[in-house]
Parts: sequence; structure tokens; C-alpha cells
Amino acid sequence: MSFDAETASSETVIIHVGEALDFRNADDFKATFQEHVDEGIRQFILDFSDTEVLDSTGLGSIFSLYRAVSPDDGKVAFADVSEPVQVVVQLTRTYKVFRQFPSVEAAREAFAG
Amino acid sequence: MESLTKTYTDLDRAINEVRSLSEEWPASSEIVTLDDETLHCTCLVLHEWIANLHQHARFQKNTPMVKIQLTCEAGRVACFVLDNSDGFDLTSYLPADDEDLEPFPERGMGLRIIETCTDELSYTPTEDGLHCFEFIIPADHDPWMNTLF
Repeated sequence: MSFDAETASSETVIIHVGEALDFRNADDFKATFQEHVDEGIRQFILDFSDTEVLDSTGLGSIFSLYRAVSPDDGKVAFADVSEPVQVVVQLTRTYKVFRQFPSVEAAREAFAG
Repeated sequence: MESLTKTYTDLDRAINEVRSLSEEWPASSEIVTLDDETLHCTCLVLHEWIANLHQHARFQKNTPMVKIQLTCEAGRVACFVLDNSDGFDLTSYLPADDEDLEPFPERGMGLRIIETCTDELSYTPTEDGLHCFEFIIPADHDPWMNTLF
């Protein structure tokens, strides 16, 4: 199952994570972002508004995205982070790396600015 | 003391349903309530453990089975997960205290998350040939994992 990806601008893609990003669909997530990385996209907004589960493998796939874009000064932002995802973010201190925004729109505006 | 017991013979279903444990338990309890963070940590640990069994455990010719029992006590969650796999030596897989993860690791964080979130962690054989994963999560726990960036 591929993830819903939305082009926000020529530089930015929004990936709607949906209910879960875990060991069962992490490879699909990687295939989704890789397609856009190959097209030159280096800014990604991850929409966690509906996400009930982010597990260690899912987080690892986000790290993989970060490793893919960071050499070109790319960015990965978390938007509308749900409570279960926030627990993982706090636990792993990933907020130090991935900027968080209250909404996709706020992340989009920050990237556009 | 409020308990919830669930048995599954489909590990995918078990993983899907542990997400919603926080909705059905202990929300019905009028005796003990736990904060949302503790409940989400409990769900995360259960998810990581059953995912670990799903991906790595050997069940021989048995249909995989897990039995989860959660007990909400004053200020803590106590949990055990019985399974009918061959089991493994958990201590040999837990990272040493001085063992650092590579920066932005793609794998190998599951057991670290479990270890970080829990107290009194164990995985031992039972007398009837099963294996039992037990842990406690204190409500005042403030876990954080030393992920390298």
C-alpha cells in the first residue's frame, strides 16, 4: 500500500502518514519518499494527524528519509502530531532534528518562507 | 486493581488491537486511572514486543499465540505476554549500557524502546512450555532514549 503524497510546491511534498507507520509498511513509505527524492524534492512534511502507531521501524524509515535529503540541506518536518506519535518523539528526542508544526498548513508556510 | 486479558492466534490482529487498548482499558475503571502518556507507552511496548515476535520468533508448526494480561495498579501498569514460540535469551539481545547506536539508525531501536519504557523487564520459559514476557511501567516514569543524531 503506497502512502498518499501531495505536491505542495516545486520543492515540497506532503506525505499523509495515515493510521500507522510500522514494520509492516515502512518499505512502502520508503518507496513513496524515494520516488520524490529521485525527482529532486528535498523538503518533506509528514502529516501525522491520523496516526495511531509509529513504531521503531517506522521511525527508522523516517531517519532513512532524513539521511537521503540532509546532505543537500533538505528538511523533514512533522505536522499535526498525534498523541501516540508525540510519545515516540519525546522518548527518542527526535524533536531535536525534526521541526514540529501544529498543522500541515503551518509547516507549508514555514517552508515557503 | 483492574485487569484486562486478551488472547490472539493472529499476530497481525494482536498488533492492530493493542493500539486501542488505551480506549477500552482502564477507561472503564472507576478505581484507577492512568495518564495518557503511560497508556501510550504501554501500547508502544506491546506493539514493539509482538512485532518482534512476528518478525523473528520461531513457532515451529504451532499457530502463533499470544496472551496479554494488563493490570492497572496504583501508580503503575504491570503486564505479561505469554507466547508459544521457541523463545530466546532476551538479555543477550538487549544493548549494553555503554553500547551506542549508529546515528539515525534504521533498525535495532525496538528493544531499546522497550527497555527504556519499562522497569523489571524479563522473558522466561514457563512450566507449561510457553514463554512469558513481563514488564512494569511506573506512571511517574519519564523515559528517554539516547538516540544519536
